Formats: sequence, structure tokens, C-alpha cells
Amino acid sequence: MKNLFRILFVIIFNYSYSFSQESFPVNGVANNFKPIHAFTNAHIVMSSNKEIKKGTLLIKDNIILNVDSNITIPEGAIIHDLNGDYIYPSFIDLYSNYGLKETKKKDSDYMPQYKSNKKGPYYWNQAIHPEVIASYNFNHDKKSISEYLEIGFGSLVTHLQDGIFRGTGCLTLLSNSKENEDILLDDAATFYSFNKGSSQQRYPTSLMGSIALIKQTLLDAEWHENTKSNSNISLSKFNAQKNLPKIFELKTPLDYSRLFKISDDFEIDFIVKGNGNEFLKIREVKEAGFPIIVPVNFPKAYDVTNPEEAMGISLSNLKKWETSPFNLRILQDHNITYTITSSDLENKSNFIGNLRIAIEKGLTQGNTLDALTITPARLIGVSDQLGSLEKNKIANFIICSSNIFTDGIIYENWTAGKKNIVTKKITEDIRGYYSFHSDEFNNITVQITGKKESPITKITKIDSNKLSTIYKDEKIIINSQTGYFRSSGKFANNSIEGKYQDKEGEFHYYKMTRDSLVNEKTKIDSLLIDTILPEIWHPNKSNGLNKKLNSKTVLFKNATLWTNEEIGIIRSCDIIISKGDIIAIGENLDTNQIPNFENLNVEIIDASGKHITSGIIDEHSHIAINRGVNESSQAVTAEVSISDVINPDDHNIYRQIAGGVTCSQLLHGSANPIGGQSALIKLRWGESAEEMKIKNCDGFIKFALGENVKQSNWGSFNTTRFPQTRMGVEQVFFDAFYRAKNYQKEWLNYNKLSLRKKREVNPPREDLELNTLVEILEGKRHITCHSYIESEINMLMHLADSMDFKINTFTHILEGYKIPNKLKKHGAGASTFSDWWAYKFEVNDAIPYNAAILNKSGVVTAINSDDAEMGRRLNQEAAKAIKYGNTSEEDAWKMVTLNPAKLLHLDDRMGSLKVGKDADIVIWSENPLSIYAKVEQTYIDGKCYFDYQNNMLTQNRDKKEKIRIIKKLSKIKAGNKRKNKAIKEKLYHCDSIEHE
Amino acid sequence: MNKIRINIIIAFLMVSTIANGQKTTLFMGGIAHLGNGEKINNSIISIKDGKIDLVADLSKIRIDPSSFDTIYKVYGKHIYPGFIIPNTTLGITEIDQVRATHDYDEVGSINPNVHSQIAYNPNSKITETVITNGVLLAQVTPRGGLISGQSSVMYLDGWNWEDATCRANDGIHLNWPSSYFQTGWWGQQGKTKRNDKHAEQVNRIKDLLENSLSYFKSNSEIDLKMESMKGLFSGEMNLYIHVNYANDIIDAIDISKQYKIKNLVLVGGEDAIKVIKKIKKNNIPVILNRIHRLPKNEDSPIDSPYKQASILQENDIMFSFSYEGDMEAMGARNLPFSAGTAVTYGLDYENAIMALTLSTAKILGIDHRVGSIEKGKEATFFISEGDALDIITNNVEYIFIKGKSVDTENHQTKLYNKYKDR
Repeated sequence: MKNLFRILFVIIFNYSYSFSQESFPVNGVANNFKPIHAFTNAHIVMSSNKEIKKGTLLIKDNIILNVDSNITIPEGAIIHDLNGDYIYPSFIDLYSNYGLKETKKKDSDYMPQYKSNKKGPYYWNQAIHPEVIASYNFNHDKKSISEYLEIGFGSLVTHLQDGIFRGTGCLTLLSNSKENEDILLDDAATFYSFNKGSSQQRYPTSLMGSIALIKQTLLDAEWHENTKSNSNISLSKFNAQKNLPKIFELKTPLDYSRLFKISDDFEIDFIVKGNGNEFLKIREVKEAGFPIIVPVNFPKAYDVTNPEEAMGISLSNLKKWETSPFNLRILQDHNITYTITSSDLENKSNFIGNLRIAIEKGLTQGNTLDALTITPARLIGVSDQLGSLEKNKIANFIICSSNIFTDGIIYENWTAGKKNIVTKKITEDIRGYYSFHSDEFNNITVQITGKKESPITKITKIDSNKLSTIYKDEKIIINSQTGYFRSSGKFANNSIEGKYQDKEGEFHYYKMTRDSLVNEKTKIDSLLIDTILPEIWHPNKSNGLNKKLNSKTVLFKNATLWTNEEIGIIRSCDIIISKGDIIAIGENLDTNQIPNFENLNVEIIDASGKHITSGIIDEHSHIAINRGVNESSQAVTAEVSISDVINPDDHNIYRQIAGGVTCSQLLHGSANPIGGQSALIKLRWGESAEEMKIKNCDGFIKFALGENVKQSNWGSFNTTRFPQTRMGVEQVFFDAFYRAKNYQKEWLNYNKLSLRKKREVNPPREDLELNTLVEILEGKRHITCHSYIESEINMLMHLADSMDFKINTFTHILEGYKIPNKLKKHGAGASTFSDWWAYKFEVNDAIPYNAAILNKSGVVTAINSDDAEMGRRLNQEAAKAIKYGNTSEEDAWKMVTLNPAKLLHLDDRMGSLKVGKDADIVIWSENPLSIYAKVEQTYIDGKCYFDYQNNMLTQNRDKKEKIRIIKKLSKIKAGNKRKNKAIKEKLYHCDSIEHE
Repeated sequence: MNKIRINIIIAFLMVSTIANGQKTTLFMGGIAHLGNGEKINNSIISIKDGKIDLVADLSKIRIDPSSFDTIYKVYGKHIYPGFIIPNTTLGITEIDQVRATHDYDEVGSINPNVHSQIAYNPNSKITETVITNGVLLAQVTPRGGLISGQSSVMYLDGWNWEDATCRANDGIHLNWPSSYFQTGWWGQQGKTKRNDKHAEQVNRIKDLLENSLSYFKSNSEIDLKMESMKGLFSGEMNLYIHVNYANDIIDAIDISKQYKIKNLVLVGGEDAIKVIKKIKKNNIPVILNRIHRLPKNEDSPIDSPYKQASILQENDIMFSFSYEGDMEAMGARNLPFSAGTAVTYGLDYENAIMALTLSTAKILGIDHRVGSIEKGKEATFFISEGDALDIITNNVEYIFIKGKSVDTENHQTKLYNKYKDR
């Protein structure tokens, strides 16, 4: 991150902003006189650390001439006596689309679009358009400019919020002058996101596709710069923008680690446009180290009037609602650089109010000011012109009634020396208790209360209702709705004098004299003064952890151990786990077997009657994946990877550890012949995506055959992507691997060259898709192939043999029982469903005896879930291999433990109870293959992630927490609440297709 | 309706006259789970003319085996009444992703006049894999719309749909408008939102029931839809309301009562536990959602679907297990195991068997013929080598439907036998 600042200082523009000069022809007589304005008696907050209690600000035209406590005011200057009002530098918003027309997504054409529709020498993907320059299309917008001015902004960076590489944004002043004068920087920053926006081109359909596309574009840009081999405006523009700040919009806190990886790989520093939920993943956010542009769009309070519905609001949403206002404070407490943006607010007029809430929650006023002024100015390299009130800087400031961060009202917002009135300043406070005199009434009481700017009058003798009171342009108009009293008057010397009309329409003179002032009582919502930081769980939802787990040292006595080793299933046996490993197995073990046991907190558990197994390994799972399990846009998408989009917060993780699963292969879907790379994780609930990944394991990739990749069941509009037949499927593989072989050769040849030769020739273009295929050819990445019928399985083995690679695992492989010997010969394993069939035409010959036959034939056979529900009870699915085909209990159990470990090349550390292996173990109430078995405890790396008894306590805790927050919500007044909508969980199968 | 019943009675009389004194079978030594909550560990059961003639404790009576035509010695094996799967599309669908095989969802939202019986395929490749796990009867149920149509209870074996019918047109299925609905599509589920049209849809149901009741009471010209609804008021048919949210369950019960529906059955009942008093007070049976499902939402206890049955049992509410949802036809064979899971989470074993048999038979109005092993009932039962609710022991050796032995071979065992020793 240090780099960023270095770059920023280098690129600070080497000219300083000067007085504006007329460069346009004038129609008529020129009037260029610019007076000096002097703002005297002001409380000037120059910056967060420099304040003048009583001073003067001098400006001429658009420039600050001086700020000080003691200034000689030049002759002729226009003097504004501020009488103690506050002056602040005006705010800077780095994230806006002000003055730009949004690109709308066209109504979707039913026929999928696979190629870019954009004419010209641009990048192949329509979501990549760094060539878009915001200032080309920028126009001041009268309506929205006032929205910004009213909340104190004087300048902003605006860009077209569309696409993945979005182009540049321009920095503009909000003075509503000619755009030429207002735009300070044509290219203030470049913008990015993971969302393809209005592009109708299929690729990418998933978040992992977006990530791969970004990486490929960055590689292409570098290659293009080095070779200039052909014209590409998009890449040239991108390369030309290299030194500009890069602002990346992230929609969820999980995206921080995703972007960090790109940033790390390509040594690019980003500024992040955040989402307001950074607190949920503060550790990852801090690690990423990006400066963050933070919105203050706190969730609205939920409507809890209907108790039934209230209990239906998820605890995660309730907790998010409660903690969101603390987000900025948490960022502050973690020393993260941040600025504040008004974007994402449904209604910008809530901006100041929300800032004040954040301040009440513990954000300091100084940090708030910095985040609105000098920090954004620094981030885009204009701190010499904007961000504080100093000599020679641009005259961008706001005048407020008092401290803007407590209760000040913005009167005026001066942009580039031009005045914009926000709230007319009310000099006199007319509120108080008066004695009223007229020819009709003598000495009756009048009460004027309410806000200073919008008072309310009550004259009980005349009208029991409140009377509307308008105090404007020094006139006071008080009217009763009944028409009994209609008056206008003026305030002077503590009294109001004027005329009123009675119900007959007759006019009377009146005078009322103020006897006493109103005591102002400020009511603060009880919620706002709630400054205790709520507990944040990991993840922040039901069953979330409030502290990190430690690996335990446990001696389990007298259990039945399903070892999966030669000794088989042994009764009345002991097992010890310590420091994440299994350290001893045997009869009558005691704590002396544990090295250093005196210093460890050893737990001894009587496991009589219990069964202990190694953890279940799900070879085929689609849980814990964010925003798309399929990159379904192209036939070959080897460049995408599930490991980029792991969702560690998916509650299906918890549900599955409760079913004894400790490790899963998260696979790409089966929408295309060559899908994406998979992620191998341990279900370490409560930890980050990175921490869940299994370290030092082999890489895997998903292939697929049959109806899904032919799009047979995608409806009649999806008939144009190659392939549509099994004949075409074969050719996709041939084509891909021929390309990969040529690519491999090309690089081999290039790498053989001497350094000098290398300089003379263009390097080959690096292609992420082909890189992955070369990994397969080199035996560094292994294939799990979705397959059903015997012919296609046979075909792929032939093809693989002819191209010198291996199929590691056929998954589903429901007709595998027809060709076990061929599988064995090729060396492929099988990972199948226990009994699924009849869901599509190609599974007509699927039989539940498949696993038993394959196993008997010596094929390494696993049973998988491919389903979030089935993943909860894979022990039952393994039992089906006994029912259908008489597999032995020992072998059946291996189908969900040791065999998948073998298929995933993890059997050296998982899959059986063996000294030295990972302490991933499950304690069952009885024979784990029985329908009557319950998981009592699940350990991963010796940490107890699930405990049936504790789970009951946690359920109780979660319920209490929910009720606590609902109680808090029920105290909030009606209005400003939102309709309840719970987000339905997404469940993926390998057929799931997701479009952004 | 009466005519059909008389025909059936006549048919039985004929069978019994022809077979009088012939074809008797004896089962000795089995662990008999009678379906009514009782169990005989060492039983003797005899069948005659397709009906159960004797059910007794072998240790308590004397019998002369030589007087029987066939004898099955089933010592230590388990005998169960045929399990009944209610609320399933089994037999009216074959392959989920081949539209041509779907015969369960008719166009239009109010279809009380369509009925599944005549669309039932007795030669389905799927049903033959279902009976081999002990599920011998199915309430074949149409889907979709507000009123999906009429279900019929079918034997999962028969020469044709007439032969396979156990009870034609047992009831009408009403999908109660949900207070909340799901946006998006199967690949991309959206948000759960309040159903803004809920009140309007409920009113539509009220209007329909009001009109049907009026038609029932008057002598109007034949109207196909109204005619089909008559059974709900006469008591000849059940009204199956598919409903899940607590408030919707209450509305469904109240409105059915208001329009004098005679026999109401709740189907689904995800929130049944929340409104258990209401259900109990009105004495309404519940056909539960698939036990092997995910909890309702992220805050629901992880084992909430597993525990539902035992809680209903504790409250003396009659209930039954179903398997509606993804791949429900193929999955029907796993119904016994879902009941097994309910046992793991607190349900008494014999009560689980009762829910799979007699309770369901009572709900569907077929308990005079099937649902338990009792004298006089049809001999529709099966014998498993071990506990039929546990996957590792469920091994169905003999199946009898109406006293006729049914082959335990199916499409899948044939393929198994063909390839296993290749």
C-alpha cells in the first residue's frame, strides 16, 4: 500500500490552480470584475487539526487569499459578518455518477450473445472498456447538484458506473459553471468492479468469471504494451492510465480478500469503494490494506410489529442492522484509511444525519472531517488544491450555524468562490412566551416553540390547535386553520407587532411582548445513544463463533474405532488427538502417551458405546460458493476458479459439520465441457475463506459430458453454443488440448532463448485458460469429470490416452458399472451418487448397485452429495452401498472417507484413523452407517467445531440475541422502517446456472 | 360414487365365492409390526382369498401348518403392512427433465375436475423400484395452480389403472396462497417477499368454496368443476390443503370450517409446530414435508425437520410422511428411511410404522382395506430381512399386494444381475 502513496505524490499535478480566465467569446460587454469577499468573525475549521475560533477568510474569485485570525481586510471587499458561524472546507465525494447518463441494460435478447457487439478495435469483452472517459459525457445536472450542495459537498469524482473496467472518472467542482471551468481533472482515477453491468455478452456469468477476466485483461495489457502486436484501443488506454489511482467497487466484505489476491499477484494498488459492512470481515479488510471509500447507508430498521414476521427476520440481518452504524468507528479503531461517500444512500438528505449517528457510535469528529476532505483529496492527488482551508487553495467551503457534526445547519456552500444558499440564515430566534395585546384581547399568553427555523405558535385563548407559523424574510405570518386568526407582523426588540384578521374578516393591530425564552430540550432517540459495540460473531449469524477455537488434546476411551486401516473396525479402543493430529491409537491408553501432557489441558472422554471415525469427505460439493457455481458462458472456462469465490459464511457449512463432514471439494458446475478449477476446503466454520482452504494440496478441475454441456435441458433458445451433441463434446476437448499443446511448445521454445534473443522477439501471450490445460498435461492438475453414460466415459478415456493425460475421477458416473475394467485400466476413480436416477434421460440406466460393482472391481469408489441437503447425511448414503450390492460395512464407510481422500490425493493426511494423520474425527452415537446414528462431535484439526450438546446452548443464545434486537427495534417509532424481506439461501447443484 | 362402491363389493363377493376353501398361506415366526402401534415378536399370520385371516402370537396358539397351501418360515424377519406414500407424483411422471413424461400439472389455476387415476402408469420403471423398499401404495397427486385436481390412491402394482386403483378420487388438492413467495428461478433464487396478492387469492378461494357450497345445496345444471367439488361437502372426499406458514395454516383451517368442508387434511405444514394447538383443537391430520430436507431458514435449528414428527406424536396429532420435492418420484423409495430419521430424533418406532401405514390409510380413507395387519384386511404387506426403516437392514424379500405375491425384480436389479459378474 505504501506504493500507492508514492505514486500519488509523484503524479501530483505540477501546476497550481489559478484564477479562472474567460476563454469563451462573450456576447456583449465583458464583465470580469471579481470582488474580494471577507468572511469575518467566523469559527474557521481549516482542517481537523487547525481551527481558528474567531477569524477571517478572504477569497477572490475562486481562490482563498488568506485565512487567519488577524487579517487586514482590503478596501472594497464585501464583508460577511458571520457572527460566530462555522466555516469548514467543503466535502469531496470520490464515488459518484453525477452528471452522467446511466447505461441501461437493453431488454435481453433471448438468443445468447457470445461475442462482443461493440464495433471497432476494442477488447473482446464488452464489460472491459477502460476507454470510456467520463468527462466526454459530463454535464452539470441542476437537480442533483443541489442534493450534493445541501449536504456539504463542493467537489466530486464522477464516473460511469458500468462494467468491469469502467474507464476514468473526472474531478469536478460543483459550482455549476461551464464544465470547462469546473472540471479540475479529466482523469482523476480509473474505476473497476466485479459486475459486468450492461454488457449482454454472456461472458462472464459468474463472479469467478469476472475475476478471471480481470486477470486475463491485466496480462493482455502487459503483453500489448510489450509487443504492440495489434491495435487495441481498450488496452492502450488502460496502459496509458496506469499511474492513475484505481478505484474498485466491492459489493460485499468477502470481496476484499478476492481483490487483495489480484492486487498482490499483479502488484496493483487499489482504493476500494466499500459497502458499509466492512465490520463483518474487519480482519480481512485490514489485511488487504486498501484505503476505503465508505458509504453511510445504514440499513433501515425492520418492521417488527407482527411478531410472527419479526421472528422470521434472519439474525444475520438483525445483527447487521444493529452494528452497521459502528462500521466507521471500527475502521477507525483498526487504523484503516477511509473516506466517506454519499453514494448508495436512498436519500442523500440523510447523509449528515447518518454521519452524526456514526459519530455518536464513536467515530471522532476530526476523523470524520478528514474522511470528507483531506483524505479524498490526497487519494486523488489534489491535496494542494482541495481538502482544507489554506492560502491559494480553491475557495470551496461551507458555512454552518454551528458544529456540523453535532447540530449545525448548513447555510451556504461556496464552490469555487460562488455562493450557493442551502438554508436561509435565520438571524433572530423568535421563540418564547409572549403577552399578547390588541383591541380584542388583553394580556393573553402566546407560546412560540418548535425549531428555530420552523417555529410553531399556540394561542390557547383563540384556537386550541397549533397555528402555522412562517418566519421568512423578516416577516412573521401566523395563521389558524379555522380562519379565526390570520396575522402578519415583524419582530423587533423582543416583541412582535402587526395586524391580524378576525373571523369576520376585520383587521386589528396587535403587539406581543416576549416575557421569557423557551428551554430547548433535545430529544435523542434512545437508539442513537446506544454506543456499546455489539458482539460480532464469525460469521455474524446463527451458530456464529464469538471466539477462535483452539485445538484440543483429548483421550477418547473405549470407543469403537472405524480405522479404515488394516486393523479394520475395532471395539473398546482408545484414541488420542493433540495439536491437530491423531497421536495414539490402542487399548488402555493413558495420558502418559501424550508428550508434554503435564502442560496440556488434557480432556478424557468416556466414549463407551460410541463410534469414532475419520471425518466424512465430500468429493462433490457446491456449498459455500458465492455468486455463481457455473461460468456457463463458454465451452471452455479452465481459467476460472472456485477458490476465488469461497463463501465461508454459508450456514450449510455448519449444517454439514453437524453431519460429520470435515472436508469438501467445492466443484465448478457442469455447464460446459471444461469447467473451472475447484477448491478443496476443510469445513472450518467461523474462519476466513483463505483459512478454510487446504494448504499444499493438488489442484483439481471440473470437466463435464452429456446433456448439461450440450445444453439439452436449457430451453429452446440455448441452441447456438457449440457443442450441442456428444460428437461436438469430443471435439471441444480435442481442440482445447491441441491448442494447449501448441501453447506449451511455444512457451518452451521461448523459454529456451537467451536473454538477448528474448529481448528481440515478442513473448508469447500468456493465456490463463491454456495455462490451466498445460497444468493438466504436465500432471499438475487433476480432472474430476461429470459423466453419466458409458459411451461418453469411454470416449473421454480414449481421448485422454491419445493426448497423454489422465482422468483422475469420473463423478456421477452412473453407468460406470458397465465398464469397470476400462476405468481400472485407465486408472480413473469413481465418485457416484448412491441411488439417484430418473431425473433426466441420460440417467435411465443408473442403478444404486453402481458403487458396489465398481468397488468390487477394484475401482476407487466414493459416494458424494452434489447437494446441500444430502451432504448432511452422507453416512446414510454410504449405507446404501450395503443395501444395494452387499458391500461390507468397512468398504461402504471408506466410500465417504478414505476413498474420496484418495481421489483428492489427501489420503496421506486424511481419510482414516492413523497416528500422524489430521485429527479430523467424528464421534457417533452408534454405527455411523445406521439410520439411527447421530453425530455427537466433529473435530477438524483437533478443534471441536460441532458438539450436539453445545449446539442446543447456541440455539438458545441465538434466540435470545434475536429477541433482544427485536425488542430494541420495537422501540423505534414507526416510519423510516423497511419492509421485511429475507434473502432466500441459494443452493447449488452442478446444473445451476447463474447470471449476474 | 355409490355405484363404484357397489361394483367393488360385488367384485369381492365373486372372488371369495370362487376361491372359497382355496389358496391359503401361512407366515410363521416373523416380527410383525401391525401398523396400529402393536408388535408381535414371534407371530403367525395367515391369508386366505387375498385377505388376512389370522394374526396371532405363535407361542400362544396351536396351528396345523399342513392345512395351508403355502408356508413361509420367516423367523426373525420383519413383517410390515405395505407402506403408503401420500402426496406424490409417482406414476404420473417418469423423467424429471423430459416434459413429455410429465402428467401432473394441468393448465389453469382451478382444476378440481382433473383426476390422476386415469393418467397413472402402472408400467412405470420407477414404481417397481419403490415397492422393493416396502412402499406398496401411493396417493398419486396432481400439482400446480390453486386447485391442482383430484388424487387417487393406487397400488404400485397392477395390470392397468383400474386394477391398480385402491381408492379413486380420494380428495381435492388446494395449494393455499402463501403469504410469502419466492422470486427468481431454479438456478438463481431471489428474495422471499410478501405476497401482495395474498388477500386477493384467498378471496378467490373463498368465492370458489362459497359457490361450490351453493351448487352442492341447489339443483343446478351440471357444471364440471362445481360437480367435482361436491364430495368436499358430502364428506366423500378430503380437502388436502398444501400450506406451510403458520398464519396461512390458521386461515386454511378457519376458512374450511366456515364453508363446511367435512374432511380437511394439511399437507406440508412446515410451521405446524407453531400452531399445534389450533391443529389439535380441530383434530386435523398432517401430511408432513419430506423429513430429509434442509431447515426452513438459516436460523432454524439444524435438526428441526427431523424432530417435527415426534413433537406431533407427543401432541397426539395424526400425521403421515411424504416425499414431495426434488426428484420425488424416484425418491419415494427412501420414504421408510426418512421415517427412520424421525425415530432417531425421538419418534417411537411403532408409531413411525403407524405413520407410514395405518395413519396414512385413515387419512386417505382406505383403512378398512389396508394399513394394518389385522384380520379381515387385505393382505398387502411385505417381509424384510431386517428393520425396514434402516438402510443397512432394509431388504425386502417378499411383497404381497391384495394377497398376490409380487416380483421383487425391477429395471435396476435386472441391470445389476446383467452386469455384476461381467
